[in-house]
Amino acid sequence: MRKPKAWKLLTGLAVAGVLAVSLAGCGTSSSTGPSSGGQVSLLETGSTLLYPLFNIWVPDYTAKNTNIHITTQGTGSGTGISQATNGSAQIGASDAYMNDAFLQKTPGMLNIPMAISAQQINYNVPGLNDVHLKLNGPALAKIYSQTTYWDDPAIATLNPGMKLPHKVIVPVHRSDGSGDTFIFTQYLTFSTPSWKAGPNAGLNISWPAVQGGVGANGNPGMVQALQQNQYSIAYVGISWLDQTNAAKLGEAQLQNYDGNFVLPTPDTIQAAANALYKTTPQDERISLVFASGANSYPIINYEYAIINQKQANADTATAVKNFLTWALSPTGGGSTTYLDKVHFQPLPPSIVTLSQNQINKIGS
Amino acid sequence: MSRPTPWRESLIRATSGICAASALFFLFAVLAVMFVFAWPSIIFNGWHFLWGVPWSIGNLYGGNFVVHNGIEAPQGAEYGMLVFLVGTVLTSLIALVVAVPVSLGVAVFLTEVAPARLAAAVGVLVELLSGVPSVVFGLWGVEVVAPLVGHGLGIFLTRTLGFIPFFAGPVGTGVGLLSAGLVLAVMIIPIIAAISRDILARVPRDMKEQGLALGVTRWELVRTIVLPYARSGIIGAVVLGLGRAMGETMAVLMVSGSAINILPHNVYSPVGTMAANIVALLDSAMTDSTGMAVHALAELALALFMITLIVNLLVPVVTSGVNIIAGTVPGAGGEKH
Amino acid sequence: MNGKTSAGRRMKNHLLTVLVVVAALACLVPLVDIVWIVAAKGLAAMSWSLLTTVTSGVAGGLANAISGTILLVVLALVFAAPLGIIGGLFLSEFASTRVAWFLRQGIDILNGVPSIVLGYFGYVTMVEWLGWGFSLLAGAITLTMVMLPYIMRAAEIAMTRVPRGWREASLALGATHSTTAFRIVLRGALPGTLTGLIIAVGRAMGETAPLIYTAGWSNYMPTASLTHSPVGYLTYVVWTFIEEPFASAHALAYAAALILMLMVLAFNVGGRLLLKRRAL
Repeated sequence: MRKPKAWKLLTGLAVAGVLAVSLAGCGTSSSTGPSSGGQVSLLETGSTLLYPLFNIWVPDYTAKNTNIHITTQGTGSGTGISQATNGSAQIGASDAYMNDAFLQKTPGMLNIPMAISAQQINYNVPGLNDVHLKLNGPALAKIYSQTTYWDDPAIATLNPGMKLPHKVIVPVHRSDGSGDTFIFTQYLTFSTPSWKAGPNAGLNISWPAVQGGVGANGNPGMVQALQQNQYSIAYVGISWLDQTNAAKLGEAQLQNYDGNFVLPTPDTIQAAANALYKTTPQDERISLVFASGANSYPIINYEYAIINQKQANADTATAVKNFLTWALSPTGGGSTTYLDKVHFQPLPPSIVTLSQNQINKIGS
Repeated sequence: MSRPTPWRESLIRATSGICAASALFFLFAVLAVMFVFAWPSIIFNGWHFLWGVPWSIGNLYGGNFVVHNGIEAPQGAEYGMLVFLVGTVLTSLIALVVAVPVSLGVAVFLTEVAPARLAAAVGVLVELLSGVPSVVFGLWGVEVVAPLVGHGLGIFLTRTLGFIPFFAGPVGTGVGLLSAGLVLAVMIIPIIAAISRDILARVPRDMKEQGLALGVTRWELVRTIVLPYARSGIIGAVVLGLGRAMGETMAVLMVSGSAINILPHNVYSPVGTMAANIVALLDSAMTDSTGMAVHALAELALALFMITLIVNLLVPVVTSGVNIIAGTVPGAGGEKH
Repeated sequence: MNGKTSAGRRMKNHLLTVLVVVAALACLVPLVDIVWIVAAKGLAAMSWSLLTTVTSGVAGGLANAISGTILLVVLALVFAAPLGIIGGLFLSEFASTRVAWFLRQGIDILNGVPSIVLGYFGYVTMVEWLGWGFSLLAGAITLTMVMLPYIMRAAEIAMTRVPRGWREASLALGATHSTTAFRIVLRGALPGTLTGLIIAVGRAMGETAPLIYTAGWSNYMPTASLTHSPVGYLTYVVWTFIEEPFASAHALAYAAALILMLMVLAFNVGGRLLLKRRAL
């Protein structure tokens, strides 16, 4: 008796399944688990801002160290912290250091700065995109709290003599949780008391209801939102500087702690980092936003690798330490050949030492 | 041929019953886990969760913790899902209003109008649409649909339907409720159309021939005989499509404008949906050491469950309503009263 | 009998024919637009090496992602297809009305659960609690939950539409209910069931969120282990590489989207051809 077609279909599927799985096994060198036969597999996950940098680090590093497999993921700073804490990942990437409460709950987590990132404020105002409008914290706080026009006094007083249009500003915020939101809201919090008392800072905050304000997904989403909407304003990670320049979007000068207006250039970013490295604590959890200094750019931050001090086994710990040491070193990952591609700045030498001290604590 | 034993019959019934019940098993497992995760949020937020507008994770980097009803949470934490509820309901509604007629039109086209070869080819293309990743739908939405709404369709609607407050301007940036609804519609059309097409193709030929012998036009045939016969199956297809619309995350996230703390005031306003915000807020929720942020998202997921349940329970009501309006009884040959 | 229909009815007929064609176009235009966008940007990145090399940083190939997607979907199908088809049979042939209603509600609600919730559920239960880690099995089971409603419901809808006469004839010949179900109803419902499978596979291939939390991601080819070994998949490339500031990453993202759609097309066409060749 002929078996019904259905059985043949299902049998075929099952055979295909078995074949596929066994074919997969014939793939390249096996990497079954964290440590087998000298082969170590590491998982890095987290910040989408650090992700591009890890993606240019890892191929070069693993090419020279063939016994290590590193998989990189861009999932978000929160996921990076969470999975590094519970052991799902060995290296968590985050734009924000862990908060006190979290660290109290899970002591033994290391927050290790790897590089310095910055953020631009971009806008799209026809006719004014090449002018570098001046903005400050209170003005931005106002824009993101209530319906504001481009010729509002808060902006006009900062830009005397500039012909500002009477158009409603479209503030664009990140809908996904993001380190960019974290440092942007820190800038607003540190500079504007009303914002500090209100939405304050975080990877994702409770954005005030502004008529017409939109959320965009990811930095590319921010750039696209700017391009598609006239009179919009958004905060964008420095790695996207090339994209915003190519799209001919305006870049704002921001008022720093000392009262001067600066653009994010390597000089101004380094100036801010230098102002604060002396006050960086041993555990390196510090905000670099709104640093003092005549030439300091106000929105910069350490990019962190979140590592559990206690790794699964000795081999994994050694692998993580070696990789991070290379990534930190000015002749390895810390060299400008890598950092320039994402417009990051290297750490000041004293911070490199602090980071290395933390890396040396990693064990099993 | 040997007579099959009774226990073999029961065994087959039992096994197939277990297969069918697997869906329930998965559902209850997910429900149980979600309930366990949501419990602290349910206690902390109480009924306020259902109609509150503000959604705030609180101050994680400087505030103290507060304890409410025995549950700890960051200072300033306040959770209300009204914004997301409204977003989910409205986007799904728009998606249905657009998708159902188009899907039925496509299904009728494929079964009644198009010649066999064309129908087969178009059918494959329609099913291909169901294989487009939701991320790609989102990208297409941002690049094509949102500008279309912002610079074209939206303005057209304010001119034609502007007397209705909800359709009046301003049109804004284009990302918002209307764009999200349209993108969702395109995503669910293949589901409804493909299944409806299969149902329509199965209408008994003798039923149709009876109608044709009476001299009805092709459309009258479809309206009075084919569609009533297929009605219950088509409604099943629509429910599947609706489920996808309400649960869609990535595409909506990119094209809805991600409203938070603000209700839409017209059809072009940015909205937030429950499903999309679970994705958007999950990452930052993990930095809340009290866990309240994740608990709140679990409660949001639970609420979405409840809404899906309510909608599904309303389906028979809607079906009877449709039957009454159409004046026909399904499966009875489409006789008019 | 008067062969002429009134002018009004004829006009209505023509009008509605036009409307129906417009509907079909309304459906095809977005598809063509999307395929155009994806193909235009994806073809630029396509090459044979894409199929043989693995992703490396922000460039490289898609071999790991392609194999991962195939493995995940095939394994999920191995679980979901029998459950869905045989379950659908139960719903249409053996279940009492009340039981059937209850099961149908369950399926429709499961369908409405956002895939991110299924993914997080998978993470909490399989990756963490059961200790499988990011793995092929966790990802496949999560995809099973996504696919099951489509397969079961589409199968059931198709099966209930098999003419009653066929069943009665089979029973009259002395077959049992179960034999009738499997030999007659299932055969008769195959086209509709196949539609359900195609939609389910299309949906599963296009999912990102649930797999991020269960299958993880891997820059390397999948291993033979079902657990403790993360797997790559094409939608990850689309979702994440789009977010990067490098043009090479964008090109890879669109290439991945293009390959995904081609795979769905292949499954669709292949499935239908297979069905036609073994015509009823």
